[in-house]
Amino acid sequence: MDEKELIRRSQAGDGEAFGVLVERYRGKVFSLAYGFTRDRTSADDLAQEVLIKAYFSLPKFKAKSAFGTWLYRIAVNHAKDFLRKNKGRQKEISIEDVGEQTLTAENKSLEEKRVEEGRRQIVQAALARLPEKYRVILTLRDIDGLSYEDISGVLKLSPGTVDSRLHRARRKLREKLTGRLIRQGGEHGLQ
Amino acid sequence: MDCNKAERFLLRSLDGRLDHENRAMLQAHLEKCPSCQEKDREYQMILRLIRPQTVPEPLPYFQERLLAKLKEQDKTAPALIWVKWAHRAVAFSLAVFFLFGAGILFFRPQEPRELSQTERFLLQDENPLGEAASILDQKKAEDRNMMLIFASVGDKDVSRRYKP
Ligand SMILES: [Zn+2]
Repeated sequence: MDEKELIRRSQAGDGEAFGVLVERYRGKVFSLAYGFTRDRTSADDLAQEVLIKAYFSLPKFKAKSAFGTWLYRIAVNHAKDFLRKNKGRQKEISIEDVGEQTLTAENKSLEEKRVEEGRRQIVQAALARLPEKYRVILTLRDIDGLSYEDISGVLKLSPGTVDSRLHRARRKLREKLTGRLIRQGGEHGLQ
Repeated sequence: MDCNKAERFLLRSLDGRLDHENRAMLQAHLEKCPSCQEKDREYQMILRLIRPQTVPEPLPYFQERLLAKLKEQDKTAPALIWVKWAHRAVAFSLAVFFLFGAGILFFRPQEPRELSQTERFLLQDENPLGEAASILDQKKAEDRNMMLIFASVGDKDVSRRYKP
């Protein structure tokens, strides 16, 4: 069944039709939620909330934008609420947490993975401290891989604004990280 | 090319949005600018590290849990259909309201309603009696005229309105 028909039926209260839409979109909604929360349970909660909200807002969906874009817009708004509620709970991760460890031949690749994961956490912590609008656009583009056009639709921004905001966000994130990742890279190099 | 422009190009190139010519210019700058090489390396690394290594699956029974919640909430607030129809209901009520209003304005009965006794006496030159007497009892002519005017202005038939 095509999407328009599924939407029309869901709007009329057909739960089964909505179930099919959910099957098609839950993966995308969940991974977006995970991009924001970085926690499986929180992402699951968030994705459920988003889809419930979508179901009850469906009568207002006018097909001015694609269904996916509309759904992402709901998801971003919910994610912002989540981030506000959880502000400050993000634990400050220091390089010391990620730690130094003497390397032996057998644990070297394990150690590399650990270092990589440590750096990832540092980036995550820096991202969490960026202003919300930068965090949102970086999540949509660099984590979730949405196209410029989709981001422009979801955030209702002109393509020019998407471009400048994204670039400013990347610069800010790099400023926060300069030095930290390099030291963290240590003898394993950066690549 | 200066380093500022090089950084703008670097950021564009992360999205593959740099055309061939500009890419060559950026490359030329990078080859002789260690500081921009460093930036390039950092941007590439951040882009790699910002993504989670793996995105887990939703928790088990995602769909079932969701549909159960929807059913539950539909019961407590059967809003979906309601909201849909509420929009229409508001429009419908407004339409009815205006049609009804228009009906009142345009289809008023043309036949004059029955006159009250006072009106008959006052406005059709019959012998005034009852409450009309109090009007005619007024000593001052101005008062009497005012009261007669007020008693007659309500009538829609202009010819019967009292003119002193
Ligand atoms: Zn340079």
